[in-house]
This record gives sequence, structure tokens and C-alpha cells, in this order.
Amino acid sequence: MSEIEHERWREELSAYLLGTLEPGEAESLERHLEGCERCQEELRWLAPARDALPETVARMQPPAELRERLLAEVREDARQAAGEAPERRGVLDRLRDFAGPRWRPLAAGAVVLLIVAAVVGYEIGSNGSGGGGGNLTTEETREASGLIAAVSMEGTENGRIELSNVEPLPPDRVLEAWVERDGEIEAVPMLFVPNGEGEAATTIGDMRGVSVVMVTEEPPGGSEAPTSEPIATVTIG
Amino acid sequence: MAADRQKAERLADEELMPLIGGKDPEAFAVLFDRHGGAAYSLAYRIVGERDGAEDVTQEAFISVWRSGARFDRARGSVRSWLLSIVRNRAIDALRAGAGRAPKLNFDDEAILEQRPAEEQTEEEAIRHETAGEIRDVLGELPGEQSQVIELAYFGGFSQSEIAGMLGIPLGTVKGRMRLGLRKIRSELAEGWA
Repeated sequence: MSEIEHERWREELSAYLLGTLEPGEAESLERHLEGCERCQEELRWLAPARDALPETVARMQPPAELRERLLAEVREDARQAAGEAPERRGVLDRLRDFAGPRWRPLAAGAVVLLIVAAVVGYEIGSNGSGGGGGNLTTEETREASGLIAAVSMEGTENGRIELSNVEPLPPDRVLEAWVERDGEIEAVPMLFVPNGEGEAATTIGDMRGVSVVMVTEEPPGGSEAPTSEPIATVTIG
Repeated sequence: MAADRQKAERLADEELMPLIGGKDPEAFAVLFDRHGGAAYSLAYRIVGERDGAEDVTQEAFISVWRSGARFDRARGSVRSWLLSIVRNRAIDALRAGAGRAPKLNFDDEAILEQRPAEEQTEEEAIRHETAGEIRDVLGELPGEQSQVIELAYFGGFSQSEIAGMLGIPLGTVKGRMRLGLRKIRSELAEGWA
């Protein structure tokens, strides 16, 4: 790529951000961007200027009926989606598809070739009164894939799982966390996705009776039970 | 698997998106309450009439509901992503003849704040203050630069269309656009990046 060609595209970045390039030009610029780190960097720097433009618009209150109409539509859509879901199998049955006849923490570890690099139990803070009991505990594992998973909790409350070194997800996949509690597998409500740095986190909340936390890739909207092998498994305690 | 409203309200936009991808209406409602005003205002700014702005806003949010899982946080904030969807749909509506020609100035103070100030949340107040600062930055741009930026962003005109409308060479349009946007970027507060 010649310097002249680079400069030609660099000068078009503003028009590209403003969505005003001629038909066909945007695609050509995107092809140039794929191989030009300097233009990528300039585009990232310039983007906030474009993002600022809608913030200058006089603020108006949308009509209440618009909100009502939208929410009615999405609630109906959600109901239909729930109604069309395939018949639920038992959660433990689904897990057995991936983890053998009886899903246990150690069995799951074998399935995902889990390498427990570290199980860190440490305490921060005092033996506080009330709340979650005061002690902040973290359990951490490193998977064979390089992914690191850490589950932190305050006593038996405020559970949270944080992942790092997560591979980018396909656009039609999300991360879903699961806990084994008193022999039953429960889905964690908060689905999550990794950021650009390969980090992802979600809140588990109540950790009472939880012996294992794991994470799987699932379709958008999550699943009633895991449909893929865990990418992370953390044994608690 | 729906998160209740209270729980959803505590989540950042980026954390709401997987829930919306999972068809959680409460997470969607929180997103609308946070950004519906900005979306509707932008749509109105572009199409110039209320019914059209409602249609555009509704289409944009339904698009988000159906494609929430496609949000890529590495490419910007949820708000920027959402407003870019609104902008593109409003421009489409404008091109389809659903709206009027765009206004050519940033000074909309006359219709600012249709709600009493006490109804604003703290976050909205901060956004309003920030919007005021950005308007100041834009106000300092040479008129010829803000004009081409407005025609491009709010009017959806191509560079050659702008050149024809203003009777100036295409290269001049490109130069004004480039200089104007770079100046806006340079003047933005640190926290905006």
C-alpha cells in the first residue's frame, strides 16, 4: 500500500463516520481499514466526535403511548418465545449429555480437561456482622484453554464469577453460568458476553449450598439447561 | 429467567444487552427508559415530525430487541450503537419521503426541556450539561464546517449531494467535513473519549 493511497483513505474517515460516503466507497474503505492500523487508530480517535452529534439535539420526551406499545410488543414476543421453546428436559439429564451418567464436580473436571492451577481461598476484611458474613473469598481455576475463572463471594452472598482470556464469541452465542446447589443444577439469570479484552463477568448472588460454578456457551437468550460443554468449572470450598 | 425490574435497573447498559438478547422485557424497559428520550429526540431532529419520529424510534428499539445479542461492546457504547441505528433508520425514512428537509442549525434551545427540570434524573441532568458543552464546541466551529457536518449526519446527504446543494467543489466539502469533525474531537472533554 502506497503512502498516497493511505492518505487518500485517511482523508475519507470523517465522511465514513458520518455515513456520507458515496455508494461503494464505504466498502472500499472498510477493505483498506482491515490492513491499516494507522487508519484504525485514527477512526477510534475520531469516533467520539461523531457520537457527540446526537447529544446536541434538543431533548424531547417520547410519548407515553410509544413506551406502552413497545413494551406490549416485546412482552408478547417474549411469551411466544417461551411458548415455542422445546419441551424441557431435566436439568441433570441435560448435563449428563456432557458429563457422564452422574454430573459431579470431579467428573465435570475430567470432561473439560480442567487444570486447576490454583484454588485461592483468602480473606479480606474483617469478620463483619450482618450482610453476607463479612469474609470475601475467591476460588480461582485455570482451564486448559488458558481461560481463568474466579468466583468471589462475601460469606454466602454476593457471588460473582469473573473470566479472563475468553475467546471471542460467535455473534449468536452468549455465556451462561450454572451452579450446582444441593445436587441440583440451576441457571444463573444474568447472561453475559466477553468484552474486547476477553474479560467477562456475571453476578451469581446467593451462594448458599453452591458446590460448583460453571460456564457454557449458549444461544441468545440462554438455555434452560446447558447445551454445550463447560468452558469453565470452578469448585467451591 | 427474566430479571426483575429492580435488578435490571442496577445493571450497566452493556450488562442489559445479553438479557435483552435473552428476551427479557424488564431489561428492555430499562434500556428504553434510559435512552428512549435521546432516541426519539434524534429521530425527531432528522425526520422533523412527531409521527415519523415515533415510527423510527419504535423500529429502532424493536430492532435492538431482536438483535440484542449482536451488540459488540468492543466497538462502542450501547447508547452510541442504539443512536446509530436510530440515525440510519431516520435517514431511510427521510429518503423515503416520510419527513421534511433537515434543519440547518444546532440551536434548538427554543424547544429544549419540555419537561420541568425537577422531573429529570441526575443522569439526565449530567447529560444535559454535557450536551450543552458539546453544543458550545459545535457553536465555535466555522459555520461552513458545521453546515456540511449537519447536512451529512442529520440530513443523510452524500458528499457530492452536499457539493451540489451548496455549489462548492467536492474537495471543499471533504475538507470542511474533515476539519470540522477533527476540531470537534479535539475540543471534546477528556471524559468523552
